[in-house]
Amino acid sequence: MRAMKFRAWLALIAGILPATLAAIVLFLAFYSWPAMHFNGLGFVVRDTWNLGNLYANPIMRHGTQVQPGATYGILFLIVGTLLSTLIALAIALPMGIGAAIFLAEAVPERLRLWISFFVELLMAIPSVVFGLWGYVVVIPFLGHHFYPLIAQSLGKAIPFFAAPTGSGYGLLTAGIVLSLMIVPIIAATLRDALVSQPASLREAALGLGATRFEALWKVMLPGTRKTLIGATFLALGRALGETMAVLMVSGNALNYLPHRIYDPVSTMAAFIVSQLDSALQDPTGLAVRSLAEIAFVLAIISIVVNALARLLLLVWNNSQRSVVV
Amino acid sequence: MSMKSGPARRRASLVLTTALALCSVMGARAAMAQQRLLETGSSLLYPLFNLWVPVYTKTHPGVQITTQSTGSGTGISQAMSGIAQIGASDAYMSDFLVKQHPTMLNIPLAISSQMINYNLPGLNRVHLKLSGPLLAAMYSGRVRYWDDAMIRRLNPGVRLPHEQIVLVHRTDGSGDTFIFTQYLSFSTPSWMNSVSYGTSVSWPAVEGGIGAEGNPGMVNACKGTPYSLAYIGISYKKATEAAGLGEAAIQNRAGNFVMPNPQTVQAAVDAMAPHTPRNERISLIFAPGKDSYPIINYEYAIVNAAQPNAATAAALREFFNWALSPIEGNSERFMTPVGFVALPAPIVALSKAQIAAIH
Repeated sequence: MRAMKFRAWLALIAGILPATLAAIVLFLAFYSWPAMHFNGLGFVVRDTWNLGNLYANPIMRHGTQVQPGATYGILFLIVGTLLSTLIALAIALPMGIGAAIFLAEAVPERLRLWISFFVELLMAIPSVVFGLWGYVVVIPFLGHHFYPLIAQSLGKAIPFFAAPTGSGYGLLTAGIVLSLMIVPIIAATLRDALVSQPASLREAALGLGATRFEALWKVMLPGTRKTLIGATFLALGRALGETMAVLMVSGNALNYLPHRIYDPVSTMAAFIVSQLDSALQDPTGLAVRSLAEIAFVLAIISIVVNALARLLLLVWNNSQRSVVV
Repeated sequence: MSMKSGPARRRASLVLTTALALCSVMGARAAMAQQRLLETGSSLLYPLFNLWVPVYTKTHPGVQITTQSTGSGTGISQAMSGIAQIGASDAYMSDFLVKQHPTMLNIPLAISSQMINYNLPGLNRVHLKLSGPLLAAMYSGRVRYWDDAMIRRLNPGVRLPHEQIVLVHRTDGSGDTFIFTQYLSFSTPSWMNSVSYGTSVSWPAVEGGIGAEGNPGMVNACKGTPYSLAYIGISYKKATEAAGLGEAAIQNRAGNFVMPNPQTVQAAVDAMAPHTPRNERISLIFAPGKDSYPIINYEYAIVNAAQPNAATAAALREFFNWALSPIEGNSERFMTPVGFVALPAPIVALSKAQIAAIH
């Protein structure tokens, strides 16, 4: 009887978590419904966010009360979010894997503890601190010294990297700051996985005549593949939803897609924060509901990304099993 | 009480004394910690409030005023929601918002103006001449380079570089955006018909354009970005000068190019202020007159006439009357450092009539 009661309690507590997720998504869908109805599917393919003339009287359009001229489209936000996340991952993955290998293999035992501690500490730094540092230090440095260099070298071959390099506020800066925020997630998780690999694996590889590098690359690392994928998607989730740091360094572009990697962008999360107060001035309330619709789209993207990660792991497991058979 | 046994009575009296003690402590704190007022909003008005508040609270120890620079959009919305008692805004509320929130007052406290700044290495000491239609063409992407024929025509003899113009605009809901886009709207019909004006507008898509938070963010973005163009409130003139930014002479309705200074702003005030209605919601942009500076505005306190209690209402009335007094808040001592101009006497009278309605 007591065990039953205990189990019921556990089920209830465990059930709160998925219920919260469902509640949030449902709330967003419910709250942004008038906006969805007004914006239609064009919301995700249009490139114009326009609150309309806030000083005119509202008019009726498609059965909804709106400010004249109001259109809501967020393609530039979706593109900005995905591109900055992609750049962050492209930088963070090699850095994170390298750092993890270094920490697990190359550092003396006593130092390892300290360095690992610092890597994990990096994870605990609030994002606004990264943002401020990006704003004060990184932007002037990149904009004035580093980007012109890239434009002169890479830019000759790839137009996406060509000059003008702009102000330092922009897509690449956002990607770099984001990457620094997610490197520790990848590095710390992967390091733990590497360290916890059975020592016999390495010993066997070395015994077969593999070099230290071969043992690492062909035996140790493949064993941590699942962890790496998991950590990568965790990092991806953080980068997708990051708000403050991006808001401070991205240049907050409005209504246009980046043509160069240095161009200002805006991301969905940052846009919600920066536009909430303006939206509150829309007497019809449609602007706030459209912001909620952005949040809904962001939530859907995050859920889809995580589901994809699960799927990838599942497929991987199956294929590995079939190889063994 | 007499029915109760000894220990119970003792407990009851203990509770009573504790409660009494707590009450008296809280009462004493309330008497000490006084009336709290929160001001939030316009980053243009923020420097003036920061000059006002220390002086005011020294002579009025019963009030504590907190100031915040969050943008006029926040000022209006937080005053409406009651989070802030004073919403600072460079923009007045729209007709429809006032209809929705009929107890909200828009009270002018001072007159401000706006600079058009640029960062053109080597040319920042030159006051470029810019007109409304030219600025509209720049901000809508039709004029993309600094050596465009349209700019050269207004600035003969200036060696302009062939560099792309980097447009800076405000990200937060902003009264500076409101008055800047009003200037573009009133001087350029095509802008009025497409983008129009507001505290946040849908800026035309021009590659490279940067969004910045608050006037400090505008100064910083313009300073850090060569060949950029920005609109910045006059109370940040010290900051733009320290950053070495250029300041443009702007074309007024009469066709003359003028810089913002007390004389040109006063000329515009003289032309526009007599039209001020009793609710004082009026644009002063693009005033007639040969010397008038075209981008000036009332700096508003957005206040709810219906306050939750009489003490708050009284504190607000007292503070605003002090702020409007020509020998106190509206004196040269406060206006000059931030580049503002004091309200003319008839406008002070209108504002005071509105203040009297706060209850």
